[in-house]
Amino acid sequence: MRPDASKKLAAVTPKKGPNPVIIGAVVAVVVILAVVVAILVGRPDSSGTAGNSTPVGVTGGKGGGIFVNSDTAKSNAPTLDVYEDFQCPGCAQLEAKVGAELTSLAKAGAVKLVVHTLSFLDDNLKNDSSSRSANAAACAADAGKFLEYHGAVFAAQPPKEQEGVGYTDAQLTEFAKTAGITGAPLTTWQKCSDSGQYDQYVTDVQDASSRAKINNTPTVKLNGQDVTQTVQTPEALAAAVKAATK
Amino acid sequence: MDLSGGGRRADLVGLLARLVLGVVLLVSGGLKVTSPAVSARAVRAFQILPYDFAGYVGYALPVVEILIGLLLIMGLLTRASAAVGGLLMLAFLVGIISAWMRGLSIDCGCFGGGGTIGAAETQYGIDVLRDAGLVACAAWLVVRPRTAFSLDHRLFG
Repeated sequence: MRPDASKKLAAVTPKKGPNPVIIGAVVAVVVILAVVVAILVGRPDSSGTAGNSTPVGVTGGKGGGIFVNSDTAKSNAPTLDVYEDFQCPGCAQLEAKVGAELTSLAKAGAVKLVVHTLSFLDDNLKNDSSSRSANAAACAADAGKFLEYHGAVFAAQPPKEQEGVGYTDAQLTEFAKTAGITGAPLTTWQKCSDSGQYDQYVTDVQDASSRAKINNTPTVKLNGQDVTQTVQTPEALAAAVKAATK
Repeated sequence: MDLSGGGRRADLVGLLARLVLGVVLLVSGGLKVTSPAVSARAVRAFQILPYDFAGYVGYALPVVEILIGLLLIMGLLTRASAAVGGLLMLAFLVGIISAWMRGLSIDCGCFGGGGTIGAAETQYGIDVLRDAGLVACAAWLVVRPRTAFSLDHRLFG
Protein backbone atom coordinates (compact mmCIF):
# COMPACT_ATOMS: atom_id res chain seq x y z
CA MET A 1 0.00 0.00 0.00
CA ARG A 2 1.40 3.35 -0.96
CA PRO A 3 1.84 5.92 1.77
CA ASP A 4 -0.90 8.52 1.90
CA ALA A 5 0.48 11.71 0.34
CA SER A 6 -2.71 13.74 0.47
CA LYS A 7 -1.48 15.87 3.40
CA LYS A 8 1.79 16.66 1.66
CA LEU A 9 -0.08 17.46 -1.54
CA ALA A 10 -2.47 19.77 0.26
CA ALA A 11 0.48 21.60 1.79
CA VAL A 12 2.15 22.32 -1.56
CA THR A 13 -0.99 22.96 -3.60
CA PRO A 14 -1.69 26.71 -3.74
CA LYS A 15 -4.85 27.67 -1.94
CA LYS A 16 -7.57 29.23 -4.00
CA GLY A 17 -7.85 33.00 -3.90
CA PRO A 18 -5.20 35.66 -3.48
CA ASN A 19 -2.21 35.30 -1.20
CA PRO A 20 -2.70 37.22 2.07
CA VAL A 21 1.02 37.90 2.31
CA ILE A 22 1.04 39.69 -1.05
CA ILE A 23 -2.05 41.71 -0.17
CA GLY A 24 -0.54 42.57 3.19
CA ALA A 25 2.68 43.71 1.55
CA VAL A 26 0.81 45.85 -0.98
CA VAL A 27 -1.25 47.48 1.77
CA ALA A 28 1.86 48.09 3.88
CA VAL A 29 3.60 49.77 0.94
CA VAL A 30 0.55 51.97 0.30
CA VAL A 31 0.43 53.01 3.98
CA ILE A 32 4.14 53.83 4.07
CA LEU A 33 3.95 55.82 0.81
CA ALA A 34 0.93 57.75 2.06
CA VAL A 35 2.73 58.61 5.31
CA VAL A 36 5.81 59.86 3.44
CA VAL A 37 3.66 61.97 1.10
CA ALA A 38 1.66 63.37 4.04
CA ILE A 39 4.83 64.43 5.85
CA LEU A 40 6.33 66.00 2.71
CA VAL A 41 3.11 67.87 1.93
CA GLY A 42 2.44 68.92 5.52
CA ARG A 43 5.97 70.05 6.34
CA PRO A 44 6.19 73.84 6.21
CA ASP A 45 8.43 75.16 3.49
CA SER A 46 11.57 76.37 5.25
CA SER A 47 13.51 77.29 2.12
CA GLY A 48 12.63 80.93 2.66
CA THR A 49 12.08 81.98 -0.93
CA ALA A 50 10.20 85.11 0.11
CA GLY A 51 13.45 86.67 1.29
CA ASN A 52 14.90 86.82 4.74
CA SER A 53 14.34 90.50 5.38
CA THR A 54 13.08 91.48 8.81
CA PRO A 55 11.24 94.62 9.84
CA VAL A 56 12.71 97.39 11.95
CA GLY A 57 13.04 96.53 15.65
CA VAL A 58 13.29 92.73 15.56
CA THR A 59 15.07 91.47 18.62
CA GLY A 60 16.11 88.06 19.89
CA GLY A 61 17.36 86.41 16.69
CA LYS A 62 15.40 84.53 14.01
CA GLY A 63 11.68 84.81 14.56
CA GLY A 64 12.09 87.27 17.43
CA GLY A 65 9.44 89.83 18.32
CA ILE A 66 9.43 93.50 17.40
CA PHE A 67 11.00 95.75 20.05
CA VAL A 68 8.45 98.50 19.73
CA ASN A 69 9.95 101.31 21.81
CA SER A 70 13.73 100.95 21.54
CA ASP A 71 13.91 104.75 21.24
CA THR A 72 12.29 105.48 24.60
CA ALA A 73 12.88 102.36 26.74
CA LYS A 74 14.94 103.01 29.85
CA SER A 75 17.86 100.69 30.45
CA ASN A 76 16.48 99.45 33.80
CA ALA A 77 12.98 98.84 32.40
CA PRO A 78 11.72 95.23 32.51
CA THR A 79 11.05 93.40 29.24
CA LEU A 80 7.39 92.81 28.45
CA ASP A 81 6.85 90.17 25.76
CA VAL A 82 3.35 90.07 24.28
CA TYR A 83 2.30 87.15 22.07
CA GLU A 84 -0.84 87.84 20.06
CA ASP A 85 -2.68 86.73 16.96
CA PHE A 86 -4.59 89.50 15.21
CA GLN A 87 -7.58 87.16 14.83
CA CYS A 88 -7.66 86.07 18.48
CA PRO A 89 -10.71 87.44 20.33
CA GLY A 90 -8.99 87.17 23.72
CA CYS A 91 -6.16 89.32 22.38
CA ALA A 92 -8.58 92.03 21.24
CA GLN A 93 -10.22 91.91 24.68
CA LEU A 94 -6.86 92.30 26.42
CA GLU A 95 -5.99 95.16 24.06
CA ALA A 96 -9.30 96.86 24.88
CA LYS A 97 -8.61 96.50 28.60
CA VAL A 98 -4.91 97.37 28.91
CA GLY A 99 -3.87 98.57 25.42
CA ALA A 100 -3.86 102.25 26.36
CA GLU A 101 -1.84 101.61 29.53
CA LEU A 102 0.58 99.44 27.57
CA THR A 103 1.07 102.20 25.02
CA SER A 104 1.70 104.85 27.66
CA LEU A 105 4.13 102.57 29.55
CA ALA A 106 5.96 102.00 26.28
CA LYS A 107 6.02 105.71 25.37
CA ALA A 108 7.30 106.56 28.86
CA GLY A 109 10.00 103.94 28.47
CA ALA A 110 8.88 102.09 31.60
CA VAL A 111 8.97 98.75 29.75
CA LYS A 112 10.90 97.27 26.89
CA LEU A 113 7.84 96.23 24.88
CA VAL A 114 8.37 93.32 22.50
CA VAL A 115 5.37 92.18 20.44
CA HIS A 116 5.28 88.76 18.78
CA THR A 117 2.56 88.59 16.11
CA LEU A 118 1.51 84.98 15.78
CA SER A 119 -0.43 83.48 12.86
CA PHE A 120 -1.52 80.00 13.97
CA LEU A 121 -5.21 80.94 13.84
CA ASP A 122 -4.96 80.99 10.04
CA ASP A 123 -4.73 77.19 10.22
CA ASN A 124 -7.69 76.91 12.57
CA LEU A 125 -9.89 79.43 10.75
CA LYS A 126 -8.75 78.37 7.27
CA ASN A 127 -7.97 81.88 6.08
CA ASP A 128 -4.82 83.97 5.84
CA SER A 129 -5.84 87.09 7.76
CA SER A 130 -3.52 86.51 10.73
CA SER A 131 -0.40 86.31 8.60
CA ARG A 132 -1.50 89.08 6.23
CA SER A 133 -2.22 91.46 9.10
CA ALA A 134 0.99 90.40 10.87
CA ASN A 135 2.93 91.18 7.70
CA ALA A 136 1.11 94.50 7.39
CA ALA A 137 1.94 95.38 11.01
CA ALA A 138 5.60 94.51 10.41
CA CYS A 139 5.52 96.88 7.42
CA ALA A 140 4.09 99.53 9.76
CA ALA A 141 7.06 98.94 12.09
CA ASP A 142 9.31 100.12 9.26
CA ALA A 143 7.30 103.36 9.26
CA GLY A 144 7.69 103.63 13.04
CA LYS A 145 3.96 103.06 13.55
CA PHE A 146 3.78 99.47 14.77
CA LEU A 147 1.83 100.08 17.97
CA GLU A 148 -0.61 102.41 16.23
CA TYR A 149 -1.21 99.84 13.50
CA HIS A 150 -1.53 97.06 16.07
CA GLY A 151 -4.21 99.07 17.91
CA ALA A 152 -6.11 99.81 14.69
CA VAL A 153 -6.29 96.11 13.75
CA PHE A 154 -7.63 95.01 17.12
CA ALA A 155 -10.13 97.87 17.19
CA ALA A 156 -11.57 96.54 13.91
CA GLN A 157 -11.54 92.84 14.80
CA PRO A 158 -14.84 91.19 13.83
CA PRO A 159 -17.02 90.26 16.85
CA LYS A 160 -16.30 86.88 18.44
CA GLU A 161 -19.23 85.16 16.79
CA GLN A 162 -17.83 86.20 13.43
CA GLU A 163 -14.34 84.90 14.20
CA GLY A 164 -12.78 83.86 10.92
CA VAL A 165 -14.22 86.67 8.78
CA GLY A 166 -10.75 88.17 8.84
CA TYR A 167 -9.48 91.37 7.23
CA THR A 168 -9.70 92.53 3.62
CA ASP A 169 -6.77 94.21 1.87
CA ALA A 170 -8.77 97.44 1.85
CA GLN A 171 -9.12 97.19 5.64
CA LEU A 172 -5.36 96.64 6.04
CA THR A 173 -4.78 99.88 4.11
CA GLU A 174 -7.43 101.62 6.20
CA PHE A 175 -5.56 100.57 9.36
CA ALA A 176 -2.35 102.11 7.97
CA LYS A 177 -4.13 105.43 7.49
CA THR A 178 -5.66 105.18 10.98
CA ALA A 179 -2.16 104.53 12.31
CA GLY A 180 -1.07 107.82 10.80
CA ILE A 181 1.04 106.54 7.93
CA THR A 182 0.77 109.05 5.08
CA GLY A 183 2.55 110.23 1.93
CA ALA A 184 5.69 108.40 0.77
CA PRO A 185 5.81 106.08 3.81
CA LEU A 186 2.24 104.98 2.95
CA THR A 187 3.34 104.09 -0.58
CA THR A 188 6.25 102.10 0.86
CA TRP A 189 3.94 100.46 3.38
CA GLN A 190 1.44 99.52 0.65
CA LYS A 191 4.14 97.89 -1.45
CA CYS A 192 5.46 96.02 1.58
CA SER A 193 1.98 94.84 2.56
CA ASP A 194 0.92 93.83 -0.96
CA SER A 195 4.11 91.91 -1.67
CA GLY A 196 4.06 90.05 1.63
CA GLN A 197 7.59 91.32 2.23
CA TYR A 198 7.71 89.90 5.75
CA ASP A 199 5.75 86.69 5.19
CA GLN A 200 8.82 84.62 5.95
CA TYR A 201 9.49 86.65 9.09
CA VAL A 202 5.87 86.08 10.22
CA THR A 203 6.31 82.33 9.69
CA ASP A 204 9.58 82.44 11.65
CA VAL A 205 7.89 84.25 14.55
CA GLN A 206 5.20 81.57 14.74
CA ASP A 207 7.80 78.82 14.58
CA ALA A 208 10.04 80.39 17.22
CA SER A 209 7.09 80.99 19.55
CA SER A 210 5.79 77.43 19.14
CA ARG A 211 9.23 76.10 19.95
CA ALA A 212 9.21 78.33 23.05
CA LYS A 213 5.97 76.52 24.01
CA ILE A 214 3.76 79.55 23.54
CA ASN A 215 0.60 77.56 22.87
CA ASN A 216 -1.96 80.14 23.86
CA THR A 217 -2.77 83.73 22.97
CA PRO A 218 -2.65 86.23 24.43
CA THR A 219 0.45 85.39 26.43
CA VAL A 220 2.18 88.19 28.35
CA LYS A 221 5.61 87.65 29.83
CA LEU A 222 7.30 90.08 32.18
CA ASN A 223 11.05 89.44 32.30
CA GLY A 224 10.27 85.92 31.05
CA GLN A 225 7.58 85.19 33.68
CA ASP A 226 4.08 84.44 32.40
CA VAL A 227 1.88 87.16 33.91
CA THR A 228 -1.05 86.88 31.49
CA GLN A 229 -3.63 86.25 34.20
CA THR A 230 -2.41 89.01 36.55
CA VAL A 231 -2.20 91.93 34.11
CA GLN A 232 -5.86 92.05 33.14
CA THR A 233 -6.41 95.64 34.33
CA PRO A 234 -4.36 98.81 33.69
CA GLU A 235 -3.65 99.12 37.43
CA ALA A 236 -2.46 95.52 37.75
CA LEU A 237 -0.27 95.94 34.68
CA ALA A 238 1.30 99.14 36.00
CA ALA A 239 1.88 97.56 39.41
CA ALA A 240 3.46 94.43 37.94
CA VAL A 241 5.76 96.53 35.77
CA LYS A 242 6.73 98.71 38.72
CA ALA A 243 7.49 95.67 40.86
CA ALA A 244 9.69 94.23 38.12
CA THR A 245 11.66 97.45 37.66
CA LYS A 246 15.04 97.22 39.31
CA MET B 1 -18.79 29.96 8.04
CA ASP B 2 -19.80 28.42 11.32
CA LEU B 3 -23.52 28.85 11.47
CA SER B 4 -23.98 27.45 14.96
CA GLY B 5 -25.37 30.08 17.35
CA GLY B 6 -22.28 31.00 19.39
CA GLY B 7 -19.82 31.41 16.52
CA ARG B 8 -22.31 33.35 14.44
CA ARG B 9 -23.04 35.71 17.31
CA ALA B 10 -19.32 36.23 17.96
CA ASP B 11 -18.87 37.06 14.27
CA LEU B 12 -21.51 39.75 14.63
CA VAL B 13 -19.84 41.17 17.75
CA GLY B 14 -16.63 41.25 15.72
CA LEU B 15 -18.44 43.06 12.91
CA LEU B 16 -19.67 45.67 15.37
CA ALA B 17 -16.18 46.10 16.89
CA ARG B 18 -14.69 46.40 13.41
CA LEU B 19 -17.20 49.00 12.24
CA VAL B 20 -17.04 51.11 15.43
CA LEU B 21 -13.24 51.27 15.44
CA GLY B 22 -13.08 51.68 11.66
CA VAL B 23 -15.66 54.46 11.41
CA VAL B 24 -14.15 56.41 14.33
CA LEU B 25 -10.69 56.18 12.76
CA LEU B 26 -11.97 57.15 9.30
CA VAL B 27 -13.96 60.13 10.61
CA SER B 28 -11.23 61.44 12.92
CA GLY B 29 -8.61 61.10 10.19
CA GLY B 30 -10.88 62.74 7.62
CA LEU B 31 -11.55 65.72 9.87
CA LYS B 32 -7.84 66.31 10.37
CA VAL B 33 -6.27 65.44 7.03
CA THR B 34 -7.03 68.80 5.40
CA SER B 35 -5.31 70.81 8.15
CA PRO B 36 -1.87 69.25 8.71
CA ALA B 37 -0.59 72.33 10.56
CA VAL B 38 -3.41 72.13 13.10
CA SER B 39 -2.81 68.41 13.54
CA ALA B 40 0.91 69.03 14.11
CA ARG B 41 0.13 71.66 16.73
CA ALA B 42 -2.33 69.33 18.47
CA VAL B 43 0.41 66.69 18.82
CA ARG B 44 2.92 69.29 20.04
CA ALA B 45 0.45 70.52 22.68
CA PHE B 46 0.87 67.19 24.51
CA GLN B 47 4.52 68.17 25.10
CA ILE B 48 5.66 64.57 24.94
CA LEU B 49 7.54 64.24 21.65
CA PRO B 50 10.37 66.55 20.50
CA TYR B 51 9.12 69.55 18.49
CA ASP B 52 10.07 68.41 14.97
CA PHE B 53 9.16 64.76 15.47
CA ALA B 54 5.80 65.77 16.93
CA GLY B 55 5.20 67.71 13.72
CA TYR B 56 5.85 64.64 11.55
CA VAL B 57 3.54 62.57 13.72
CA GLY B 58 0.88 65.25 13.29
CA TYR B 59 1.20 65.20 9.50
CA ALA B 60 1.19 61.40 9.24
CA LEU B 61 -1.47 60.53 11.81
CA PRO B 62 -4.63 61.51 9.85
CA VAL B 63 -3.50 59.51 6.81
CA VAL B 64 -2.76 56.43 8.89
CA GLU B 65 -6.11 56.74 10.64
CA ILE B 66 -7.98 56.96 7.33
CA LEU B 67 -6.22 53.94 5.82
CA ILE B 68 -6.58 51.75 8.91
CA GLY B 69 -10.21 52.89 9.19
CA LEU B 70 -10.90 51.85 5.59
CA LEU B 71 -9.21 48.46 6.07
CA LEU B 72 -11.32 47.79 9.17
CA ILE B 73 -14.56 48.84 7.51
CA MET B 74 -13.80 46.53 4.58
CA GLY B 75 -12.65 43.80 6.92
CA LEU B 76 -9.38 43.39 5.05
CA LEU B 77 -6.34 42.19 7.03
CA THR B 78 -8.53 42.58 10.10
CA ARG B 79 -6.10 41.30 12.72
CA ALA B 80 -3.17 43.44 11.56
CA SER B 81 -5.35 46.55 11.06
CA ALA B 82 -6.95 46.13 14.46
CA ALA B 83 -3.51 45.71 16.03
CA VAL B 84 -2.30 48.97 14.48
CA GLY B 85 -5.55 50.77 15.33
CA GLY B 86 -5.42 49.43 18.89
CA LEU B 87 -1.80 50.53 19.35
CA LEU B 88 -2.77 54.00 18.08
CA MET B 89 -5.61 54.16 20.59
CA LEU B 90 -3.33 52.97 23.38
CA ALA B 91 -0.84 55.70 22.47
CA PHE B 92 -3.62 58.32 22.51
CA LEU B 93 -4.82 56.97 25.84
CA VAL B 94 -1.36 57.23 27.37
CA GLY B 95 -0.95 60.73 25.93
CA ILE B 96 -4.29 61.96 27.25
CA ILE B 97 -3.80 60.47 30.73
CA SER B 98 -0.28 61.90 30.83
CA ALA B 99 -1.54 65.37 29.85
CA TRP B 100 -4.29 65.07 32.45
CA MET B 101 -1.85 64.07 35.20
CA ARG B 102 0.61 66.82 34.29
CA GLY B 103 -2.21 69.34 34.64
CA LEU B 104 -2.07 70.56 31.03
CA SER B 105 -5.20 72.27 29.72
CA ILE B 106 -5.39 70.94 26.20
CA ASP B 107 -7.95 69.68 23.74
CA CYS B 108 -6.84 66.21 22.64
CA GLY B 109 -7.37 67.21 19.01
CA CYS B 110 -8.82 63.75 18.47
CA PHE B 111 -11.33 65.01 15.91
CA GLY B 112 -9.50 68.09 14.66
CA GLY B 113 -8.71 71.26 16.54
CA GLY B 114 -6.48 70.74 19.54
CA GLY B 115 -4.03 72.83 21.47
CA THR B 116 -4.36 74.81 24.66
CA ILE B 117 -7.84 75.56 25.98
CA GLY B 118 -9.32 76.86 29.22
CA ALA B 119 -8.94 74.56 32.22
CA ALA B 120 -12.76 74.33 32.54
CA GLU B 121 -13.13 73.23 28.91
CA THR B 122 -11.01 70.09 29.20
CA GLN B 123 -12.85 66.78 28.90
CA TYR B 124 -10.19 64.22 29.67
CA GLY B 125 -12.68 61.81 31.30
CA ILE B 126 -14.79 61.44 28.16
CA ASP B 127 -11.70 61.13 25.97
CA VAL B 128 -10.26 58.39 28.19
CA LEU B 129 -13.53 56.41 28.27
CA ARG B 130 -13.96 56.65 24.50
CA ASP B 131 -10.41 55.56 23.77
CA ALA B 132 -10.60 52.73 26.30
CA GLY B 133 -13.74 51.46 24.56
CA LEU B 134 -11.98 51.60 21.21
CA VAL B 135 -8.99 49.71 22.63
CA ALA B 136 -11.46 47.02 23.73
CA CYS B 137 -12.86 46.82 20.16
CA ALA B 138 -9.33 46.43 18.82
CA ALA B 139 -8.44 43.80 21.42
CA TRP B 140 -11.47 41.70 20.48
CA LEU B 141 -10.47 41.78 16.81
CA VAL B 142 -6.85 40.89 17.51
CA VAL B 143 -7.89 37.90 19.61
CA ARG B 144 -10.71 36.83 17.27
CA PRO B 145 -10.29 38.47 13.86
CA ARG B 146 -13.06 36.47 12.20
CA THR B 147 -16.06 38.75 11.64
CA ALA B 148 -19.27 38.69 9.64
CA PHE B 149 -19.29 40.23 6.15
CA SER B 150 -15.53 40.65 5.92
CA LEU B 151 -13.37 40.87 2.84
CA ASP B 152 -10.92 38.59 4.63
CA HIS B 153 -13.53 35.83 4.60
CA ARG B 154 -14.41 36.40 0.93
CA LEU B 155 -10.80 36.45 -0.24
CA PHE B 156 -9.02 33.97 1.99
CA GLY B 157 -11.84 31.69 3.10
